[in-house]
Amino acid sequence: MKITQEIKDNTVIMTLNGELDASSSVLLDEELSDPEIMKYSKVLVNCQDLNYISSAGLGVFISHLQRFEDAQIKLIFFNMQDKVRNVFEILGLDLLMTIVSDYEEARTIANE
Amino acid sequence: MLYKTNAKSLLAISALISWLLLLVYVLLTAESTLAGTDAPRFALPFFRNLLIVIFIVSVFLFQRLQTETLKGMDFIGYLWNLFSKAGVTAYLSVALYLVYRVYNNYADVKSSLLLHLVYQVNFALLVLFLAKAFYIWRQLLLYHKNKFLQIAWDWFELLLAATLLLTLFNFDYTNYVFLPLLALMGFYILFLCTNMKWVAYLTFNNKSRSLVLLGAVLLSCYIFVRFFLNTSERTDLVIDYSGVGFLLLAMMFVTMYTLAAFLVSLFSLPTSSVFEQKSEDLLNFQRLSLSIQQGQSEAQVYDMLFESTIKASDANAAWFEVIRNSEPQTTHLLNIQEPQINSIRHLLKAYNINNLDYINNNLGRNPGFRGLALPWKSVAILPLKTAKHLSGVLYLLKDVEGGFDQETVNVLRTFTSQTTLTIENLRLVNESLQNERYKEELKIATQVQESLIPKTFPTDSWFEISTHSVAAKEVGGDFYDFLQLSESRIAIIIGDVSGKGISAAFHMAQMKGIFHGLMQQDMAPSEFMKQANSALSRCLERTSFITSSLYIIDYRMKGFMFARAGHCHTLYYNSMMDDVFYFSTEGLGLGIIRDNRNYAGHIREMYYDYNPGDVMVIYTDGIIEARNAQNDEYGEERLQHMLKETYHLEAEDIKYAIINDLNDFTGPGNIYDDQTLLVIKFKPTQPNT
Repeated sequence: MKITQEIKDNTVIMTLNGELDASSSVLLDEELSDPEIMKYSKVLVNCQDLNYISSAGLGVFISHLQRFEDAQIKLIFFNMQDKVRNVFEILGLDLLMTIVSDYEEARTIANE
Repeated sequence: MLYKTNAKSLLAISALISWLLLLVYVLLTAESTLAGTDAPRFALPFFRNLLIVIFIVSVFLFQRLQTETLKGMDFIGYLWNLFSKAGVTAYLSVALYLVYRVYNNYADVKSSLLLHLVYQVNFALLVLFLAKAFYIWRQLLLYHKNKFLQIAWDWFELLLAATLLLTLFNFDYTNYVFLPLLALMGFYILFLCTNMKWVAYLTFNNKSRSLVLLGAVLLSCYIFVRFFLNTSERTDLVIDYSGVGFLLLAMMFVTMYTLAAFLVSLFSLPTSSVFEQKSEDLLNFQRLSLSIQQGQSEAQVYDMLFESTIKASDANAAWFEVIRNSEPQTTHLLNIQEPQINSIRHLLKAYNINNLDYINNNLGRNPGFRGLALPWKSVAILPLKTAKHLSGVLYLLKDVEGGFDQETVNVLRTFTSQTTLTIENLRLVNESLQNERYKEELKIATQVQESLIPKTFPTDSWFEISTHSVAAKEVGGDFYDFLQLSESRIAIIIGDVSGKGISAAFHMAQMKGIFHGLMQQDMAPSEFMKQANSALSRCLERTSFITSSLYIIDYRMKGFMFARAGHCHTLYYNSMMDDVFYFSTEGLGLGIIRDNRNYAGHIREMYYDYNPGDVMVIYTDGIIEARNAQNDEYGEERLQHMLKETYHLEAEDIKYAIINDLNDFTGPGNIYDDQTLLVIKFKPTQPNT
């Protein structure tokens, strides 16, 4: 699992690369818990190279969901592979989280 | 054993008889000589020699059997035996001779018969002495023997026995032909005398004691030699045993070996303390390495280290500190006071060499140490250190300069590294014991969890159900359960707690409790999910959530109502339409939204009428997310395909078909997530109604 961050126009673009399992979800949790992130109003997560997400990985996003919402930070996922999206959908997270097809769309929604 | 006892008593009897006959012969001969007849009445040299040979052979063989019982490494015991059972005979013979002399002087009668009697008794004592000494030396000489030495000794015994033939046939061994042969035998004996490995095993004290004993035995040899050489010059004796070559050679061997042993012991006396120290070091190493098997504690191992190193280095003062939480704690002290220790520690800290391997053989030259005015001149500091862990530091002090030479330091380092190893092993042993205990507890947890999952469903004529459940670890987060709500209604729940292992297992147990608690009130599946979400929101940690599906099957209405909370889609075969499909309903997992008013909008309920022959497959993500070696997932499609192929089978067979296909896909022993599978088949007939 590789997590990279890029900051562009008051937006954090986080790229997930690899498999988000029980051990790598700890890394993700550290990244999302970083107080620096709270300074930005938008967090876009690029899931293009995210091949797998375990329930632990989902748990990390879920645990930060409420916090981001309270701080009025937009969390948007884009470029998600079908099988990963399926996992989000089965759990019903597609109704809670913003999952869009590509970066352009993500930017548009973020700037609304 | 019986044979040996018999042989021994036989030999003793034959020795006694031959000696008595010999005595009678000698006395008779002496009397006839005394009577003045020129030709003695008894002149049977062959008969006499035969008796001598029989006597000697009997006594030697007897002692040969006797000394075989001596075994082990108690060399002082051997020497004591040698002295008390063999050496003493010489002193007896001297005493006897003196008594004879005194009696002679006092009575003033020259009794030739008495002289012969004394001479004859002394002969018996000599043979006893030689036989005993000969075979005790044999035992010691062959200590740590090799094959060559054994053969050499066997030949020596044979050759020696052969010299008895000389006596038997009355050859004079001083004959020029035999003399060189005898000389060769002498060299042979010299060679045998070089085998004295046993001396090396004597400690200093033992060596001093052995010197005394060996001296006493040497004196015995001297007494016998002198007595028999002196008396052989007397013309009034009718018999002369100094002419028996065998006895001469045996005496030569016993004397030479005793002398050699005496000299070797004497000269090795100064070095024996070194060997003692070495062998003690070895023993201590062994004790250290064995201490784990003997179940010794860390403290006992340190005790051993402290004692052994002080002995090995001959240190005058020492202390040992155990490092606990990176604080030194002095546990062992020898001839040193706490303030002195503290001052040395401070100094070492100032030099920045505390807890380092450090040898200083001239403390006087160092101004810091000179300033402390310590009575010691050398110091050795040996830390007990593994790659990452410092368990203790040993300090040794000596009051001489150059006290810790390279050799000593090597021995000390071996001790400390052996101790480190032992301590490390002790810790590993303890850890593995602890792990063993955890495993036991986990085993119990597994059993408890298994008891939480129902093994048998109510057997009913309306439907058949087959279940399969394996956990990836000892305990898992998957669960299913049922509750008979009324005569015709049954609630079936399946669930999956996020994560694996212990924490998942706890939440699973919680969910089971919530299921039984809430369903007592017989509520609709969507209502159950709302209430369950509310209950779980209060106890799940933030990153955990639970997915679940609840089905309430009503046989009378021939339908079921269900709600899905983020759980895998239900796979269904409809026999009317002959179609296999997934129910795609919406529903959010439990514990994701903790605000319950919000959650209510995310759960849907569905009612479905079933037909006889319909099949419902309920499972957890461990099934469809199972992977093969190529990292492909089993997937919903393959599961759907499997049901298409097998829906006509019994529920049990459908389950086995799916599980077998899954195992074929993943390969054996490739379970990374808990897997649960329930197959429910609705039956066409309705008996008992």
